[in-house]
Amino acid sequence: MSRILLVEDNEMNRDMLTRRLERKGFEIESAGDGEEALQKIASAMPDLVLMDMNLPIRNGWSTCRELRANPDTERLPVIALTAHAMAEDEQKALAAGCNDYTTKPIDFPLLLAKINKLLESES
Amino acid sequence: MSNVVPTRELVRLQGLQVKVGQMLVKNKLSDSLKDDLTRLYEALELSVSKLDKLNLQGIPLDSIDSPEIRHDIRNAIGITKGYAELIKDTEDLPSAALSNLLDKIMLWSAKTISTLERTTRRKQNDTTLFSLDALKEQTDSYQGHILILDDEPANRELLSRHIQQLGLETFACATAEEAYEVLRSNDIDLILLDLVMPDVSGHQVLAELKASQLWRAIPVIVISGMSDQNEVIRCIQAGADDYLQKPFNRILLQARLHAGLNRKRWVDKERDLSNELERSHRFIKNTFGRYLSTEVVSSLLDKPDGLDMGGQLQTVSILMADIRGFTTISESLPPQKVVRLLNNYLGTMAEIIMAHNGTVDEFIGDAILALFGAPVAKADDSNRAVACALAMQAEMEAVNQRNIAQGLPSINIGIGINTGEVIAGNIGSMKRAKYGVVGHAVNVTSRIEDQTGPGEILVAQSTLDHCNLPLTLGRQLDLQPKGVKETISVTEVTAIDNREQPGNDDGAIDDGAIKASS
Repeated sequence: MSRILLVEDNEMNRDMLTRRLERKGFEIESAGDGEEALQKIASAMPDLVLMDMNLPIRNGWSTCRELRANPDTERLPVIALTAHAMAEDEQKALAAGCNDYTTKPIDFPLLLAKINKLLESES
Repeated sequence: MSNVVPTRELVRLQGLQVKVGQMLVKNKLSDSLKDDLTRLYEALELSVSKLDKLNLQGIPLDSIDSPEIRHDIRNAIGITKGYAELIKDTEDLPSAALSNLLDKIMLWSAKTISTLERTTRRKQNDTTLFSLDALKEQTDSYQGHILILDDEPANRELLSRHIQQLGLETFACATAEEAYEVLRSNDIDLILLDLVMPDVSGHQVLAELKASQLWRAIPVIVISGMSDQNEVIRCIQAGADDYLQKPFNRILLQARLHAGLNRKRWVDKERDLSNELERSHRFIKNTFGRYLSTEVVSSLLDKPDGLDMGGQLQTVSILMADIRGFTTISESLPPQKVVRLLNNYLGTMAEIIMAHNGTVDEFIGDAILALFGAPVAKADDSNRAVACALAMQAEMEAVNQRNIAQGLPSINIGIGINTGEVIAGNIGSMKRAKYGVVGHAVNVTSRIEDQTGPGEILVAQSTLDHCNLPLTLGRQLDLQPKGVKETISVTEVTAIDNREQPGNDDGAIDDGAIKASS
């Protein structure tokens, strides 16, 4: 079973996505901000990270750059989530090293396809 | 511009929320469904409160200026839609009424988001203009060949123009056959693939690409119209890396091209790393010292017993070079400057030697010992040794220019070349072994090199006998070195005369290639 770390500060969003992904057979660990995400990744490496970009304490872009700078996590797949549907946001996420990008509201089948694809290319 | 104050949306939403509440109270539900529905109810509550706020401020849903407010509303609707879809996905929903209600919530979400997006789209068009310069700056570091497969001439034209503006090269193809032809004869870094084409579908092309050993690693970005969402999902499952919706947004196009090219670079890097060559490289480097051309390394690895280096008799061309009058120079300079002088010189020479597939066996102070023919013997070892020496002398001008610019003295080198049998192998103790050569021929080379003047190359007859380059020769002399019985005949070599043999590709590497690599 693949482990996904869901990084999202909004409790409802986190709960909703956790439920949906768990029912698709993923094991979900969650974090509420970028720092917590880095700590969780350091203690147990997930297979993929699903991360909101607008996070408190340390935002998603900075967290992603941090992951890319560390040889242990430079290849860890990261999908960015954001509620901004602006092109620059996507560009910013990709520039920070995210592998892919999904805007909210989430197109769940598309998100699943992206997750599965990244997980496949890793294994 | 329409003026949609969210009253209508709000009223509908409140109605839906009430119905969800009724479901919760009236129906006997399983615990897990009850839990999900409670969550949906709370999400609806959140959406209602956001729209209510907007309504109070009198802001139409399609012209919210504040990105924060847009973000909040989008988020709330996203959560609402997410829970509705989640419950809809549940097996054995207890009633058709619930299923119906969920459909309505999902429909409401989609409609409201699309109204909200009208603002976003307007904003996006604004930003496209002023970001173009920044975008161009960023792409300067990117290079690549992009293949565009689209049956629509206008699309091809538009995409090509956008991509060329980013400094990338494009190959525009109208049919799959054309695309395969381009792929066969070019090094393509990324493919933009139209989904809907008359002769063959994008899916078929994608399947073909992903089934090919050669093309599998090339990232594919699918181009699709708005309505093709399910197709896009299928494509991503089939191996496409990304998708792009028509009409194209330049910034999105650029971001996705970059991400794709980056991915390609990762794949290339990974392939290099996982290569056996790379793993063995470290071992080879430790054994041979720092400088051994990759070609020699790979030819070594091609032979299963190529690494049996216990010692074997081998004919090699030996090149020795040193700086004329180096002792005097080094005495007049502070030690740091001596080191800088040496590094500048030795580094440049090592690159030239490797470009000629020679092995830098040793640096001894200011002297270089290079081998052509060990560890791997080739037919043109002598040719390459002589061509290498000429390239080294030619490069000295540039070395001296750098020296002068750094306040260092200019230097001259002499080079001696000899060909003969040596014992090549790992020499030393168990703890510290080094690949090297020993034998009479090495000593003779050293004696020849001793006789060279500044800027001169002296080549032994034994090397010239194996060498079929059209050489311009200078002075000729017979040496009778100490401890050597026979007379050694050596000749000065000043140039390769390329005019005499225009089709000469036998070992003489042209100057351009060497310069580029040094």
